Amino acid sequence: MVIQICIGSACHLRGSYDVIEQLKSFIAEDKLEDKITLKASFCLGHCGEHVTMKVNGEFLDGVTPANVKDIYINTLKPAALGE
Amino acid sequence: MSFVDYGHVSLNKKHEELCGDNVEHTVSNGVHTFVLADGLGSGVKANILATLTSKILCTMAAANIPLSDCIDTIIDSLPVCKVRGVAYATFTVISINEHGEGYLVEYDNPPAIYIRDGKLVPLERTERIYADKKVYFSSVKMNEGDQIITTSDGVVHAGIGMSLNFGWDIAEIREFMEIHYDKYGAAMTAASVLANACYSLYGKECGDDTSVLCVKLMPTRPTNIMIGPPVDPSRDEMVVGEFLASPGKHAVCGGTSSQVVARVMGKELTSSFDFPDRDVPPIGYIDGIDLVCEGVLTLKKMLYYAEQYASPSYPEIKQFGGKDGASLLAKLLLCSSSDINIFVGRNVNLAHEGLAIDNKSKLDIVVKLLNILTKLGKRVQIKYY
Repeated sequence: MVIQICIGSACHLRGSYDVIEQLKSFIAEDKLEDKITLKASFCLGHCGEHVTMKVNGEFLDGVTPANVKDIYINTLKPAALGE
Repeated sequence: MSFVDYGHVSLNKKHEELCGDNVEHTVSNGVHTFVLADGLGSGVKANILATLTSKILCTMAAANIPLSDCIDTIIDSLPVCKVRGVAYATFTVISINEHGEGYLVEYDNPPAIYIRDGKLVPLERTERIYADKKVYFSSVKMNEGDQIITTSDGVVHAGIGMSLNFGWDIAEIREFMEIHYDKYGAAMTAASVLANACYSLYGKECGDDTSVLCVKLMPTRPTNIMIGPPVDPSRDEMVVGEFLASPGKHAVCGGTSSQVVARVMGKELTSSFDFPDRDVPPIGYIDGIDLVCEGVLTLKKMLYYAEQYASPSYPEIKQFGGKDGASLLAKLLLCSSSDINIFVGRNVNLAHEGLAIDNKSKLDIVVKLLNILTKLGKRVQIKYY
């Protein structure tokens, strides 16, 4: 699974740094480095109210530093393990 | 033709709001004239003496008026100190053209230090007497990388009665400057290294006004920086073409701009994943571009660095070792460039409007940066698209 997180100006202000740092630590904790590849990306042209994230090329909307843990546990981790 | 690079630091005597030293600089017909003057006493009186002396000398010397006339003018103009009954300010004049030819005139400041390839080169001083004042004159022919450092006596007095019994010996200051010599390092960095050492010796409270002026002859090092994409996307190729064709180093500031440049070049844009500084988004990479970074947040942090760098009263060493976009950009523009061409695209990123990073705040940052770069003596050109 490839996760791209936007590090452009707008997403930076929306907390992309926190999202990246949290995801890095969850992936390390679960030792999923070989299943999930984290990548930074410049503006993905999808600026909105949240941090822009793409999972395997598809936009995943509504990501914030506050809910990224839930998204990881409920969506990203099961999808990565199921692949 | 080379580039005359200079930088100065002036630290105030403790509890003083004004500095009793002053540094002036003018350029006319490619000749740079610098004057470092140290007024008698401290505070406002010294500040007036130093300011008058340096401004008069700088203006007159730049106009090639004979030195005897300059000195007469100063003697006739300076207000006489009521306590001490004299009108007095020491000074050093450095005049250098862009081929490195010029002269120094020294009056009662600590002797200037000339360094070539990390070794002290003694100046051949000729004594001249004007109005009973002993003035030392020396001709110089600078090579690229040569540096001249002149200081006020606050440098040789650094640490008196505190960390050192008798202050700093001039021989030791020379040796210190030889050790810290960096051929292609910025003049501002060299000046700040010496001023910072004094600041430490004084225990961060200077016992006297302490000024350091460094003048270096440097190779011409142009840098081109592109900030933001053009308003009209059909001009992308033209603008990027012009940007790339301009000789020197190339930096691209902004996510969209980076994508535009990569697309026109037919190269891949990749981004780093490291946050050496969490205020600054990670940098990116395009083969053939020297620095790729995010736009407005990086520029904002870089402006903060530039303001510190340009402030004469900032006592820390002025160099940039950080690996974040703002530090890398500061190092490139402030320390390693003589000529800077700024290509500003004014296209509005709708996603940024309403946030603290809208187009207006970005353009404001660009204008502030332009002013600082010009003040630092860089030859700056700006174009809007």
